[in-house]
Amino acid sequence: MLKIETTKETNYHLIQLIGEVDASNSVELDEAIVDLIEQEAKNILIDGTQLDYISSAGLGVFMSYIEDFEEKNITLVIFGLNEKVFQVFKILGLDHLINIKSKKIEAVQEIE
Amino acid sequence: MLKLPNLNIGKISLLVAIMTWLALLFVDITRLFGNLNQMESGIAPEISYILEILFFIVVYLFFNYSIQKSEKNNFIDLIWRGATTGLVATSISIIISIFYYLLGDSRLASDPLLRNVFYHIDFAFVTLFLVSCTLLWKHLILYQRTKRVVQQWQAFEVGLLISMFFVFFNRNTLDYSFLFGLAVLVIFGASLAVNLKWIPYLTFKEKWKSILFLVFIQFSAAYLFIQVLSYSEENSIYLNLTDNLFLLSLFSFVFIYAIFSFLVTLFNLPTSSVFEQKLIEAINFQRLSQSIKPGQNENQVLDILMDSCMSAAYVDAAWLELKEHDEKSSIIHQRYLSNEEQVVLQKLIGSSKPFSDFKWDDKLQDNKTYTGKINDLKYKSVMMIPLTVNKNTIGRIFLLKEVKDGFNKEMINIISTFVGQACISVENHRLLNEALKNERYKEELLIAQRVQRSLLPSELHHDSTFEIHGFSEAADEVGGDYYETQSLGEAEFAVIIGDVSGKGTSAAFNMSQMKGVFHSLVQLNPSPKEFLVKANMALSHCLEKNHFITTSYFIINTKKKSIRYARAGHCPTLFYDAEKNDSEYLDIDGMGLGILRNSSFEKYIHEKEVFYKKDDILVLFTDGIVEAKNEHSEEFGYERLKNVLTENHEQTAAEIQQKLIDQVYDFIGSNTLPDDDYSLLVIKFNS
Repeated sequence: MLKIETTKETNYHLIQLIGEVDASNSVELDEAIVDLIEQEAKNILIDGTQLDYISSAGLGVFMSYIEDFEEKNITLVIFGLNEKVFQVFKILGLDHLINIKSKKIEAVQEIE
Repeated sequence: MLKLPNLNIGKISLLVAIMTWLALLFVDITRLFGNLNQMESGIAPEISYILEILFFIVVYLFFNYSIQKSEKNNFIDLIWRGATTGLVATSISIIISIFYYLLGDSRLASDPLLRNVFYHIDFAFVTLFLVSCTLLWKHLILYQRTKRVVQQWQAFEVGLLISMFFVFFNRNTLDYSFLFGLAVLVIFGASLAVNLKWIPYLTFKEKWKSILFLVFIQFSAAYLFIQVLSYSEENSIYLNLTDNLFLLSLFSFVFIYAIFSFLVTLFNLPTSSVFEQKLIEAINFQRLSQSIKPGQNENQVLDILMDSCMSAAYVDAAWLELKEHDEKSSIIHQRYLSNEEQVVLQKLIGSSKPFSDFKWDDKLQDNKTYTGKINDLKYKSVMMIPLTVNKNTIGRIFLLKEVKDGFNKEMINIISTFVGQACISVENHRLLNEALKNERYKEELLIAQRVQRSLLPSELHHDSTFEIHGFSEAADEVGGDYYETQSLGEAEFAVIIGDVSGKGTSAAFNMSQMKGVFHSLVQLNPSPKEFLVKANMALSHCLEKNHFITTSYFIINTKKKSIRYARAGHCPTLFYDAEKNDSEYLDIDGMGLGILRNSSFEKYIHEKEVFYKKDDILVLFTDGIVEAKNEHSEEFGYERLKNVLTENHEQTAAEIQQKLIDQVYDFIGSNTLPDDDYSLLVIKFNS
């Protein structure tokens, strides 16, 4: 089960992930990101405070935009991941490529 | 050989009948000869009566047998049989009359012996005709029999049997007891004659034929009856055989039933077309409900549907259109119309009420019909029926008639029933095809499973200094886990474990690519880091954008007792240190293959070396193991895995592997299905 809520703040877009991201719903996450790219978003914040689990397919979604975002100068910051989910990012080495912060304030600072 | 007598019952009874008749003739002639010459022959009339009864019974048995044998005959054939016997008997009787007429007043004409012979011939044919007809009527009366009718018939047969023996009491004279017996049998026969259930099943043509044949039978019966009466009026000197209660009862029965059948058939003539129509509808309905066989076209059902609808409503023109993808439709079947006419009519119908209300995407079209009139020179009334399969309208039937208000309630009812049935057939056909397709996919998947299983090694390379044991189980038919070993020369072995992102078929394809990459690169004997960097380069060209592979690569040197390793995003490897009696995860930084597809990947990959001692254990696994969840969504986790290994360190590699897997399955419980692939590789160093 995954719920995605996208909200627009003054200088960034916020995607809130609630539940679990797995092979069956990773497409929804992908669509949400594509949507923001089409809206020409420059700063994207991912709120992972309520993300319980992410599978390799979900990680694949984030991974596939790393180069895209670099080219288009889009900043992506993930924050609030719980320890277990953060470990998944870390084991795969994604923490080197994606800006991951523990608090939302840190993430917002990252944009400014 | 034993069956032979059974086969010839017909022939034997015929032979016995002829012999009985000849005996009867001989007895009667002898007696007559004696009487004429004033000699007492001493032959009592009872002998003749006994032979007569015997003759009746044998003839009865013969016809009973021969009709039963030809049970398949239809009604018309049966009646024709009766009619021909009647005509033969009548012709013979007429020929005899003509013969006597031609003889005039000659001596031969008054010869009693000759006359008696002819009398016996007449008697025989009258008997044949009456008995055969009676048995034909029996067949007709007992059509669609009920128990009551069968009992009634059996009682009638008993009555007839008794009537044969009546001759001993009254010697064939018309006294009151005779008339009483005759009256009883006539009434009995008449009450049986109301069973005429076979008549409605005749077609219009067959009814005409049967009327003609029944007239023949009535004529024959009437003529022969008069003939028999004329014999008894002649106060002749020879024995009267024909004023017999049995024969006269049969006369009345045959005649009454023929009259009843004749009249009922006649009055049934006007309604026979309705009955035929209903019968055709029933047959059409049955044809429609027989599901289409796989491989057959559903057009055939629609073709039957068209014919059924047209015949049910006496339609003058019709067509059937099927919806195609982009709001277009094509005409599949078209009857009694040219293409130009059809186009003009379709436009006209589409613009007139109520047909203009029709919408293709209306979901409530089940059992809905549209009837109305149109403003056309030729066709005055139209009926349109949507064909709905699974709530989707797939097409429409248009039925046109030249008369106004040509569709009555019954026609509309029967047509919507036909359409409903045809739609069910089409739906069943489509479902069946889908099921067959799924079956094929399943088979393909089984093949894929077999192929993939064979990609995992059955033998793992090792030497006497260590044991190695592997396990892999996919959550779906195919999975994305991978492990393999390779001997790198003396005392050196490469070991790899990998996990492809995603699940199922796509993961399986990428897994086989990984196998290819491993076997190519291992030839170059690279260091673990070199291996991962090169593998990343190779896979960058093969993997889809959002796919990656995590692996750990190890080189075990049994001489140096060292393990060199590098990790590409794969979950850390568990190492049991026998000296400390504790397990630890080997900590090293790394990044999954395919995540960074350029040269900067190299800087995230590191390489380490550890040295092992006797009884140390290395456990390689995929994240399915540590992420396995029980029904409370709790994960098996790294800690539990570590503890199980420490507790079971004394066992062999195979036992440890089994223990670990058992623990994982125990943990998730039997109520939850594994939702990820599980793989495990246990290496135990013996020296």
